[in-house]
Amino acid sequence: MSFLAPGFLIAAGAIAAAVVALHFIVTREPKMVPLPTARFAPDRPARGHARAIQPRDLLLMLLRVALILAVGAALARPVLRPPRRALARILLVDRSRAVAREAEAVDSARALLSPGDAVVVFDRTATVVRDDAGDTLAVLARSPYRGRLSAALIAGLRTASAMREAADSFELAIISPLAEEELDQAADSVRALWPGAVRLVRVAAATDTAAAPVVVVEGADDDPLRFALPSHPARARDAAPPTVRIIRGATSGADSAWVREPGRVLVLWPAGAFAPRDTGAHAGPALPPSWSVRAAPDTVGAVSANGTVVVAPFVRYAAYGGKTGDDADAGARVAARWVDGEPAAAEARHGAGCIRTVTIPVPSRGDLVLQPRFARLVAAMTAPCGGAASLAPIAEARAAALAGPASRGPAARASIVVPDVTPAPLVPWLLAAALAFAAGELLLRRRARGTSRVTAREEA
Amino acid sequence: MQQLTSGALLDAVRGVHWPARRITGGAFQGAHRSKRVGYSPEFTAYRPYQQGDDPAKIDWKLFGRTERVAIRLSHDESNLRTTVMVDASASMAYPPSTLAKWELAAAVALGLCAVAHADTDPVGVAVVDGAGLRALPARTRRGTVANVLRMLLDTTPSGSTPLAPSLGALRSSRRIAIVSDFLGDADALLEQAREMVAGGREVYAVHIVAAEELDPSALGPVVTDPEDATIRRPLEERELAEYHESFGRWREALAASWRAAGAVYQLATTGEAPERVVRRVVTPVLTADASA
Repeated sequence: MSFLAPGFLIAAGAIAAAVVALHFIVTREPKMVPLPTARFAPDRPARGHARAIQPRDLLLMLLRVALILAVGAALARPVLRPPRRALARILLVDRSRAVAREAEAVDSARALLSPGDAVVVFDRTATVVRDDAGDTLAVLARSPYRGRLSAALIAGLRTASAMREAADSFELAIISPLAEEELDQAADSVRALWPGAVRLVRVAAATDTAAAPVVVVEGADDDPLRFALPSHPARARDAAPPTVRIIRGATSGADSAWVREPGRVLVLWPAGAFAPRDTGAHAGPALPPSWSVRAAPDTVGAVSANGTVVVAPFVRYAAYGGKTGDDADAGARVAARWVDGEPAAAEARHGAGCIRTVTIPVPSRGDLVLQPRFARLVAAMTAPCGGAASLAPIAEARAAALAGPASRGPAARASIVVPDVTPAPLVPWLLAAALAFAAGELLLRRRARGTSRVTAREEA
Repeated sequence: MQQLTSGALLDAVRGVHWPARRITGGAFQGAHRSKRVGYSPEFTAYRPYQQGDDPAKIDWKLFGRTERVAIRLSHDESNLRTTVMVDASASMAYPPSTLAKWELAAAVALGLCAVAHADTDPVGVAVVDGAGLRALPARTRRGTVANVLRMLLDTTPSGSTPLAPSLGALRSSRRIAIVSDFLGDADALLEQAREMVAGGREVYAVHIVAAEELDPSALGPVVTDPEDATIRRPLEERELAEYHESFGRWREALAASWRAAGAVYQLATTGEAPERVVRRVVTPVLTADASA
């Protein structure tokens, strides 16, 4: 056992010693004896010292000392330290859509897992499992979401900090196919915070079996957006049934029914501006519920989607009010953002497909739509639901950089960040004991006072 | 109170007289020499007959022998109204376990009353306790001593009522005995007694002191005055010597001041037989005035 603030315990010990000393050296007024001629005695202070040692007083003293020590120990925040192991592992187990077979990831994790190790299961979010990790692995299921290794690394760092006193060194293992889509731009920075090497256990990555989307644009024949598509739309329409429909005008109930089929994407990308929901249909297609018309449209300099940035003086006439991320409904996602971070396009699940709303104006003048960057932007806007999956494994060089030099080995305990808050589970029990001691002391004192009153009455 | 109710005290003082220290001026027949010269059968002197004398008082036998006309003189005897004032303040209830001071004071008061009553003097008692003055008027009739005894038995020492005002209320008595420890208003009481002596009254001061007051070494480390709780003094070895010296000086000064005022002062200590104290008080003391 160790104490996070041992000064309080030392102070409590000093106070308890003082209480014991005061208990045995009690200054009391000695017993008064009547004497009518007392006035002839010299006038000096009539005080004296008397020692009082009685069993009842000893019990009272013990209760007081226990009370002080319990409060001091609670303030000192005792922490029970388990026996420190030589090595503890933190396993980051991938369950995202990039994993081909979750059983392979589970088997790899079990091969490394020892009692006391921690498991971080991640897809787009990370969940830390410190107790009964084997049970969690037994029911691990593959998630349909994109994995985010940076979130898993952050969770691993925090877990290592919480386990700092449990082992002399820590090994971080990533059990994942390490697909391209899982490493965002923060992953390298977060990885640099881990002081040791990272063991990479690569499992088979899922293959992207989805066929290339067949995109149709439902609008005017001279719609500039047609020229930004990778293939000629007319040929695509003739070749196969469409999987992505770009609606450049108003939508109908048939469109909603169509998009409910699996793998279908309905892109609401009006040729003009959206109309407010309370206006007539003639004013243009109505805004979806998560969007609102800006009172004063402004001009923004660029838009970004899936790593592609298009710089142009876009007019921004709508604002997104829906939720994204962990708070959003399942399937809600921002597909493109303006340069200041505001959503420019967002998608929402609709049946088995999704409806993607795009508020990026397509310029009819100039050659912007003919530029490759705009084509990449259009490709991102016509990607399957959830964004384009990039399940190809990362390059070996990047994987080596992620693992770090093998000479670094596991991270030493001293290099792990000390946690800001260390739980001290004994504190509430100590405070409860202090309360019990205080109540006992009060009862004993009251009983002693009552006894002395009765004795005085009997003597009288 | 065993010695009061047993009757041994009254038996012990039977036959003891308490003569007046001066010629009395009482109107009734008593045992004390009166100022008046009258018809007492006890011959005193002859005086030549003067015009206006009662011819019946002429001693004709003397005239027959000496042919001188003289009348026969004799002194009258009268009684002496006596009141015993007893201090029943809280300081007299000492020691608390035995009340020896109060018992001695009550016994001495009863003995003095019995002696005076036996001399056919009107005798009464005045008790000053916490409730104030309670007095039994001086009487000569039978049962007076029993009434005095009853009053003393009914008294519990308490309070700290000053004695001087009560003494002033006893001016009708020609002889007053004060039984007290004189720890209250001693100066005012002495002043009052001095005025009474100057007025021709006989004053007796019986100073009651407890043996524990004379030697308090066995009491305890701190003592307190039962009449004044603010007086709390240490009384250990170092303080005992000063206490003895201070208390002794006070007793000597008290005795000297009462005697100088013309009163009879007697010190009585608890443990002393009360009849011995009574005898000491009533025994005439040859003072300079008396011997002259």
